[in-house]
Amino acid sequence: MTRNLISIRTMPKDEIVGLLDLATEFKAKIIAGEDVPSMKKTVIGLLFFENSTRTRVSFEQAAFYLGMRSSNFATSASSMNKGETLKDTILTLRHERINGLVMRHKASGAPMLAAKHFGGPVLNAGDGQHEHPTQALADAMTILERKPSLEGLNISIVGDVVHSRVARSNAWLLDKMGANVKLVGPRTLLPPHPSMLPGEFCDELEEGISGADVIICLRLQRERMAEGMISSIGEYSSLYQINAETLRFTNPGCLVMHPGPINRGVEIDDVTADGDMAVINQQVENGVFVRMAGFYWCFGGDQK
Amino acid sequence: MKTLLRNGRILDPSLEMDEIGSVLIENDQVIEIGNIEDLSDVDEVYDCTGYWITPGLVDMHVHLREPGDEHKETIISGTQAAAAGGYTTICCMPNTNPPLDNPAIVDFILDRAASPEAGGVFVAPVGALTKGLKGEELSNLAAMKRAGIVAASDEGFPIQNSQIMNRAMVFCNQIGLPILAHCDDSNLSKGGSMNEGAVSAMLGLKGIPRTSEEIATMRNCLLSLHTGCPVHIMRVSTWGAVEIIRLIKSLGAPVTCEICPMHFVFTEDDIGEFDTKFKMQPPLRTKVDVELLLQGLQDGTIDCIASDHSPHASHEVDVPFDEAPFGASTIEATLGATLTYLTHSGILTPLDTVRKLSTMPAEILNLDGGTLRPEGLPVAQVTVIDPDVEWTFDRNKSFSKSKNTPFHRMKMKGKAVLTFSGSEIYRDALFQAERYAIYI
Repeated sequence: MTRNLISIRTMPKDEIVGLLDLATEFKAKIIAGEDVPSMKKTVIGLLFFENSTRTRVSFEQAAFYLGMRSSNFATSASSMNKGETLKDTILTLRHERINGLVMRHKASGAPMLAAKHFGGPVLNAGDGQHEHPTQALADAMTILERKPSLEGLNISIVGDVVHSRVARSNAWLLDKMGANVKLVGPRTLLPPHPSMLPGEFCDELEEGISGADVIICLRLQRERMAEGMISSIGEYSSLYQINAETLRFTNPGCLVMHPGPINRGVEIDDVTADGDMAVINQQVENGVFVRMAGFYWCFGGDQK
Repeated sequence: MKTLLRNGRILDPSLEMDEIGSVLIENDQVIEIGNIEDLSDVDEVYDCTGYWITPGLVDMHVHLREPGDEHKETIISGTQAAAAGGYTTICCMPNTNPPLDNPAIVDFILDRAASPEAGGVFVAPVGALTKGLKGEELSNLAAMKRAGIVAASDEGFPIQNSQIMNRAMVFCNQIGLPILAHCDDSNLSKGGSMNEGAVSAMLGLKGIPRTSEEIATMRNCLLSLHTGCPVHIMRVSTWGAVEIIRLIKSLGAPVTCEICPMHFVFTEDDIGEFDTKFKMQPPLRTKVDVELLLQGLQDGTIDCIASDHSPHASHEVDVPFDEAPFGASTIEATLGATLTYLTHSGILTPLDTVRKLSTMPAEILNLDGGTLRPEGLPVAQVTVIDPDVEWTFDRNKSFSKSKNTPFHRMKMKGKAVLTFSGSEIYRDALFQAERYAIYI
C-alpha cells in the first residue's frame, strides 16, 4: 500500500511517531556508515512550481541515500508555461511511470489535487499557506534530540504566522504530540479567526515566549510592508526580534529554531542565529532524514 | 386549442390566491382561473391533483455565457435548463465575451433565445453598466434599454469608484432602468477565495472578509437612498448585509435584494478539503449567517431568490482552489433547494415561496410575468410543481452544459414537473403519463 504525505492536520499521532522513529533510525545508520534500505527501482519526480533550493536539495539527498533516482521538473522548462493544467502535468508524469511525486505549489491544497490524479505517493514540499509537513517533522526530530519528550514542552512560534505553512504544520504536529503551542506575532500577521487552529495566540513577545523551551522563528517577508501589515522592518524587529535580550524571558536551555532562509537582523539577530542554543543547521540536516523516512513510509517500506 | 390544468393548488401571490382549482389556457393565454367543471370543449387535460399551479418562475440572475464562453453554457442549453428548473423568464448577466454593453449584443441574445431549439423561456438581458465592465465610462444605457435590457449591472466587476456609481444611479433613475449591484470592495477581497474565517485560517486560503461585502452594500444602499434610483442588491451572504438592507429599507430607499440557494444551504465548512464546487462569490459564510439570512427571508428583508447560475466547464474547476473560478451550475436545483430548505422546514409558506421565486423578481424588474393574470402577458406563464416528490439531484441528467454543481447527489423534496410558456415547454419524467389526457 502506498500513502501520501500531504498534511499533518489529517495525520494521526501514531503515524507521526512512526515517521520520527524511522528518521532517527536512518540517521543513525547513515552516520555509522551502515546500509539503509535500497529503493533503487523507484523514480521520484520533483515538481517545484515555486522556487526552493533548500527543500529540493534535501529531497534529492534523501532520494540518493535510498538509492532512488530523482527527476527534476523545473517549471520554467516544462509545459506548464505552455498552458498545460496541473492535472495534465500530473497525468503525464504518471504515464511516464514516475513512481512518486514531491511537489511544491503556491496554491494551498494543490497536492491533494495532484494525489487525486497521480495514483501513487505524493509528498507535499509546501503548499501555499497551508502545510509543510516534512519541515515540521524535521523540527520535531531536532527538538527530540535535545529534549526527552515533546509532551508538556512550551513551544512558541514567532512571526508571520498567517502566511506560514511551517507554522501551521508545526502547530498541528506539536499540539498532537502534547506540547503547549503559542503562536506569537503582531495581530496583522496572526490569523483573525484562529478557532480551528491549535495553540494559543499572543500578540506580545514577552508574554508569548515567557517560559518557552523552544522558539521557532518565522521568516518575515518584505512585501508585508507594502501590504500594510507592518509599519517598518525596524519597528517589527524592535517588537518581535529574537535576541539575547528577549531570550531572557524563556526557560534556561531554550532552543532557537528557524526554518530558513534567515533574515539576519530582522526576526533573529546575528549572535543568536550563530549562538549555542540555535539548532538551525541541525534542522537542515534532519530534514534529509525525515524525507528519507517520508519516502520509505509513503512507498509502504515499513510494512514489508 | 384549450388546455386545462385541473384540480391543483393555485398559488398566485399577485392575486393573493391560495386555493384548489383549475387553470384554463386557450390560444396561449390563461382565460379562466378557478372552479372549472365543464370539460366539454377542452382539448387536453393535465391532472394536477396534489400539485401546485403557480405563475412561471422568474430568475433574475443567470449567466448564459453566450457570446464568448459557449464551452461553459449556451443560450440554447441554458434556457433548456431554465425550463427544466421551472422558470419561464430569466435575466442573463452582461459578463459575456465581449461584454453585453451595446444594443447589437442585446439583439443577438434575444434572437438566439427566440430560436426554436432554445428552451422556450423569455430571456431578459441585463446590460453592462459601464463600457467593457471596466467601471470607468457608462455604457449607452438608453440605447440598450430601447433594444430590450431590463436592468444594468457590472455584475462580478463591481464599480469601485463611488462617483461613477453615483452618476450611474442618477442617469439610470432618469431613464427608468434598475441597477443590480454585486457588492464587493475589491481592495478588501483581492486574492481571496473563500470566507475569511476559521476554515480559511485552517486551510491557509486567503479570505474574503465580510466587510468587503458589507461596506459596498452600505455604499450602494446610501447612493440609492440619496439618488432615488432603484437598486437591487445581488446575492446577499452576510448577516451584516441583511441588517444594512433592513435599515435602508426602513429609511425608504428603493432597495431590494436577493439570496442564492447556495448561501442558505451550505456554509464554509462544506469546502472540506479544497472542494472547488463550493467556491462562490460572495463566499459561503457561517452557520450564524445562514440563521440570520433565513430570518431575513422570513421577515421580507430578502425579497427574492435567484439562482446565480454560473456554469463552468469541468476542466476549469479541476484545478487548485485558488485558481478555480467562482460559481456553479444551479438553475435546475434552485426550486428543489428552496422547497427542501425553506418551505418544508416552515421558513416560508407556499405562497411566500412562489412570491420570492416569481412575483417579486418580476415586480422588481417590471417584467411581464410573476402572475397568472393574462393582462399584459404576451403568453400564459405557468409552472406546475410537485411539492412532495422526493428525488436526488443528478448532474448527469441536467440540461446545463456545466456539471459543476454543489447540489450533485443532494436529496430534495419538491420539483417542477411541468412548465408552460404559452404551451408546454417542459415536462418532467416524474409527471406520470396517466395524468395527461388529450381529446383531439
